[in-house]
Amino acid sequence: MEGLFFNVNNGFLEGIVRGYKSGTLTQSHYASLTQCETLEDFKTQLSATDYGNFLANEPSPLSTATIADKATQTLVDQFNFLRSNSVEPLSKFLDYITYGYMIDNVVLLITGTLHERDTHELLERCHPLGIFDTMPALCVATNVEELYQSVLVETPLAPYFRDCLSAADLDDMNIEIIRNTVYKAYLEDFYNYVSTIGSTTAEVMHSILAFEADRRTMNITINSFDTELTKEQRAKLFPAIGRLFPAGNNALAKADDIDQVRQVCENVGEYRSFFDNSGSAQANGDLGDFGVAAQLEDRFFRMEVHLNKLAFLQQFQYGVFYSYVKLKEQEIRNITWIAECIAQDARDRIHDFIPIF
Amino acid sequence: MGDDYPTLFRSEEMSLMQFLIPTEVAHDTVAELGELGNVQFKDLNPTVNPFQRSFVGEIRRTDEMARRVRFFESQIQKEKDVVPIRPLYDSAPLVTVGPSAAHNIDGLDVTLAGHETRLGQMNDSYKTLSERTRELVEARHVLRETAVFFEKAETQQTDIRTSFDDSSAPLLQHDDREQQYLSSVQFDLEFVAGTIDRTRISTFERVLWRVLRGNLYMNHTDITEPFVDPATGTETRKNVFIIFAHGDALLAKIRKVAESMGATLYPIDANADKRSDSLREVTARLEDLETVLYNTGLNRRSELLRIGENLARWQDVVRKEKAIYETMNLFNYDVRRKTLVAEGWVPTRDFAMIHMALRHATEESGTSVVPILQELHTSKTPPTFTRTNKFSEGFQTIMDAYGIATYQEVNPGLFAIVTFPFLFAVMFGDIGHGLIIFFAALYMIFQEKKWARQELNEIVGQFFYGRYIILLMGMFSVYTGLMYNDIFSKSLHIWHSGWDFPEPASNGASYAVSNGHMYPFGVDPAWHGADNGLMFTNSYKMKMSIVLGVIHMTFALCLQLPNHIKFKRPLDIYANFIPQMIFLQSIFGYLVVCILYKWSIDWSTRDTEPPSLLNMLIAMILSPGKVDATAQLYRGQGFIQVVLLLLAVVCVPWMLCMKPYFQWKEMQMIQGQGYVGLGHRNGGPRESTDEVLENEEEGNGRAIVEEMEEEHEQHDFSEVVIHQIIHTIEFCLGCISHTASYLRLWALSLAHAQLSEVLWSMTIEKFLGLSGIFGTIALVMVVVFWFSATVFILCLMEGLSAFLHALRLHWVEANSKHYQGEGYLFMPLSFAKLDEKE
Repeated sequence: MEGLFFNVNNGFLEGIVRGYKSGTLTQSHYASLTQCETLEDFKTQLSATDYGNFLANEPSPLSTATIADKATQTLVDQFNFLRSNSVEPLSKFLDYITYGYMIDNVVLLITGTLHERDTHELLERCHPLGIFDTMPALCVATNVEELYQSVLVETPLAPYFRDCLSAADLDDMNIEIIRNTVYKAYLEDFYNYVSTIGSTTAEVMHSILAFEADRRTMNITINSFDTELTKEQRAKLFPAIGRLFPAGNNALAKADDIDQVRQVCENVGEYRSFFDNSGSAQANGDLGDFGVAAQLEDRFFRMEVHLNKLAFLQQFQYGVFYSYVKLKEQEIRNITWIAECIAQDARDRIHDFIPIF
Repeated sequence: MGDDYPTLFRSEEMSLMQFLIPTEVAHDTVAELGELGNVQFKDLNPTVNPFQRSFVGEIRRTDEMARRVRFFESQIQKEKDVVPIRPLYDSAPLVTVGPSAAHNIDGLDVTLAGHETRLGQMNDSYKTLSERTRELVEARHVLRETAVFFEKAETQQTDIRTSFDDSSAPLLQHDDREQQYLSSVQFDLEFVAGTIDRTRISTFERVLWRVLRGNLYMNHTDITEPFVDPATGTETRKNVFIIFAHGDALLAKIRKVAESMGATLYPIDANADKRSDSLREVTARLEDLETVLYNTGLNRRSELLRIGENLARWQDVVRKEKAIYETMNLFNYDVRRKTLVAEGWVPTRDFAMIHMALRHATEESGTSVVPILQELHTSKTPPTFTRTNKFSEGFQTIMDAYGIATYQEVNPGLFAIVTFPFLFAVMFGDIGHGLIIFFAALYMIFQEKKWARQELNEIVGQFFYGRYIILLMGMFSVYTGLMYNDIFSKSLHIWHSGWDFPEPASNGASYAVSNGHMYPFGVDPAWHGADNGLMFTNSYKMKMSIVLGVIHMTFALCLQLPNHIKFKRPLDIYANFIPQMIFLQSIFGYLVVCILYKWSIDWSTRDTEPPSLLNMLIAMILSPGKVDATAQLYRGQGFIQVVLLLLAVVCVPWMLCMKPYFQWKEMQMIQGQGYVGLGHRNGGPRESTDEVLENEEEGNGRAIVEEMEEEHEQHDFSEVVIHQIIHTIEFCLGCISHTASYLRLWALSLAHAQLSEVLWSMTIEKFLGLSGIFGTIALVMVVVFWFSATVFILCLMEGLSAFLHALRLHWVEANSKHYQGEGYLFMPLSFAKLDEKE
């Protein structure tokens, strides 16, 4: 039945987003991008893609930051177009996408203020999708209570912050805990929300969000080795969703080294490959845990891209919007990576991006 | 060399030419050829990335120049007072060919860069100055507005104090002293004042309230005039605010919040005298700044004026340079990198012009090396190039929209010039409506020169583009209108009518009596208003549309013939054209003959009723040989019909089998001679005159040609059979459905006539009888309504619908009989077209 009336409100936007998606860079685009000698070539090459003339009016010495900014700007413009043309419940769904960026921005601002960075510089570094009205006032706050009372209470993030109000002062460790607690709350809320807007959307989004949650769980576990974080605290940060939940989460909460993490992941078929080569990497010795983590991150991204691509195989659901934003984000990361490699003449690593199509 | 005059009948004969251009004259040659607009260059390095080509550096440079020119353009557009841009034909020419070209382009580059830096500096200083002015203006506003707050506060102070003190009784005795103290210092609460964006004021207030837990007193007022950002021209509106709070910590917090919210803070003194002092100071500085600002603005404007003088020329030059280098990127270097090798399609007729152009380019550039031009032999299909003028352009576009004619195929665009407006007019036949659109088209044609130069909006542009089509449509409509004797649904009475109406009989009906006259042209006006008038026109138009349709289809079918002769396909004549023609004529041609024959007989003198031709056609196919005696049209009808039907039936296997059979036989013959198809032909026979040199150069060219050769269709026998089966079925069914399709001529023309009659009888007719002043006013109003309805509904809407139907009849019914439309358009490098695109 949802399929029957889906197009009444969302058909146009789904068409638009699928059109946007068909403009993502393909393997052949990447192939020609990686052949570029200079950033000027890079610009010429990009102008033949859907990005078009987005760099045409930039004066000549290009920087990678400009390219990344402009590329993000195209994504933001597209997103804003979608957002302003959408109606409930799609608009709410799109808002949910921005909450993730808002959390990042809040944490960025708090951390920045803690280290006494210039407020305006911090504001410029915020992700444009996660900007909200009262955001600048965040830099006044010195503890979480104040943060919540003065600014966050009127943002959509307020409910997520309620859980971590107890944290006393703001220091690096606490901020990290806040970030993870908030994100956990956000993921769980988003997970519940997508269950209410149709079974197809729920199906698609649950698989993506479940992976997102598991990824966070694993990251938290790996990053918390050899830190002050107690195991009970760690367990509290794990999102209560995902394919590792609950047994895997419990096991991860008790894990002490990366091998135990691997054992937990063995239980889920798709995650088995994450740690495949880690044995050989450890054999190298130098890389150690760090190498595994870096490799792992790469594989997480690949998995995310894969899941997001799957979202486009289903019709009449909102998952495509989420997936498009995520894929485009990955694409911007790729472009920036290639541009960075060209600028720094690190040609041997230029192929280390994650191809989407 | 083809015919003597360019013709629309077939597309131009094209040749693939190889240009060997010495590097030093390459630029000028391409420029010259671009002005000529006659060569379509082929990409000789399709595998090379765009940024690895030879002239990327130059393109990048022109891109940079183009960016600067765009920057100037946007600056000029943003300027509030209009900066005149001297039109292209009026501005000084800039020589970009010849020996001084490089120098001139370098000069232009420098000039542009100079202008950009100057303009940039001016913008910067203008911006900083206006920034400072804005700050001062804001400061002035803050000073003024806060003064108002303070004054208000002063008058209310006593109230505030008393109300405060009410709750703190022990302090009452100090009241007097405190009052004195207060009046001397005026104020002991500390405050922050500044300006902030109006959209943010509510957020600001909320955040502050929450941060300070309500421990503040805030006041704000609007600044009436908006602040204009000099760079972007956007307006921002701001508010002055003043916040009173107590304690350094709170004030620091307020300051921090304010700054992070984008507010500007101004130091304001609580003392009224000091405030007025600083107000004076601010005003004085503001005056100074404004003078400076005005001068800077003047300078900037004069710079822009200077730029405006040359902008059009620069745009032109930059655009052309870019096109030239992009074209040169398609070229290939020869082995020694001394010459550029180019290949391109050229109309064979224009060889002489191109030779001239090449020579001219060489002379201009002052060298003695002439580019070499030689023809290449290729098996690739050349592009289709039809020379049109402003009259035939529209008609050609109609046909091109269906498909570009295959190279040298008979071009239906030529015949559409007559058939299209005619078929339109058959559906639109009305003298009045025809005249309206005729004059509308005539008006557009008289405005041609003016309108062609200015930019029209999309809808008007469309009509303007088709003005000659509309003109002919109008003329033809007048003709068919005369035929139908229709003018705004009334009839013209030019000659003597052939019928008289005697006095009506008792039941009010009157029967027309022939008076021996014959109405010489068109429908007798006596039919107008007759009870059986509709019946008559109905039958007349229906039959007429069948007659016209069959003629049109036969004509379209005949156009196959020149194609088959031209491309030397005798088999297609015997296996396709002849059976198709017989099939069409034996059924539908016969129907047309019967229609004409039936019309020519005076049935009132015959003893049989006129037979129904539709039933006759059905009976001819369903029960061949048997003709009902009451429905007989002529003697021997049954026999003739059987013969015709047999002819048609024979044609089907003829079409189906003959072509595949002969092709199969041919294949057998070739295989019998011991040849086996390689599936790949070598690029034509080589002329081996000057072997060493030619092989090297030609080989170069050939290799490229061969590389790009399309995969030739494998002549698979099964494919031929399937194609032929489809073709046969399509034709046989098509004959029937297409003939029926021509009935739309009848339907639309009837609908048009009825609609215009309804419009007349519903509006004007009812008001004609009214007398007196109100009658006249009502009549005038109704006439206006009637006329606008005529124009918008009958001419525009009905016209569009008739247009579409005529279009369909050409595309589907006629084109399917002969048109292949598998060509591709000739797109030469042309500066003139470059301008159009912009």
